[in-house]
Amino acid sequence: MEMVFIAAALIIGLGALGAGIGFGLLGGKLLESTARQPEMGNQLQTKAFIMAGLLDAVPMIGVGIAMYLIFVVAG
Amino acid sequence: MTRYRKAITYVPLKQWLTIEMAALSIQSLLWWLLVSRLAGYSALVGGLIFVIPNAYFAHRAYRYQGARQMSLAVSNIFRAESIKLALTAVFFAAVFTLMEPVHVPALLFTFAVMVVVGNVLRWLIRPRPQR
Repeated sequence: MEMVFIAAALIIGLGALGAGIGFGLLGGKLLESTARQPEMGNQLQTKAFIMAGLLDAVPMIGVGIAMYLIFVVAG
Repeated sequence: MTRYRKAITYVPLKQWLTIEMAALSIQSLLWWLLVSRLAGYSALVGGLIFVIPNAYFAHRAYRYQGARQMSLAVSNIFRAESIKLALTAVFFAAVFTLMEPVHVPALLFTFAVMVVVGNVLRWLIRPRPQR
């Protein structure tokens, strides 16, 4: 039973780590590129928004599977 | 010196939501007809677990616009993303504890399909600047 909780913790933790690194890079590059070309700000924000959606797809599915493990498999 | 006209980006939130809800209805109908009524209901709930936090994220991500407010916009995107993940976790926990019985394959599969549909939709129908 403990292994299930460890597995769920790993899924959520590693997913959050990956999403955090990705969002950090994305936000940093967005600020950097807007500082270089302020007139492109709105277009860059749109592209960052689309990339943010792609970035959090895997962690979100991971959260779903982890909740299943915690509440159904172990519960 | 070059002058640039200001543009406000219009987020097609209503359009996204309409198409997502249509895709979700078709999927839950298919689960209902092909498997069982419980599967259709679970598929609907699984899709809503994705649609509601994602609509909140899309609404919040565009609260600030323009180069002068870009740092505010970035911090807002970070905050919206963490709230979105937390909401997803809370909704899943609520469904698995409060909803009894639940067809787990229909719930998780529809959720995964809606994640892909949502991303493809944002790629195809992009927010566009209006002058």
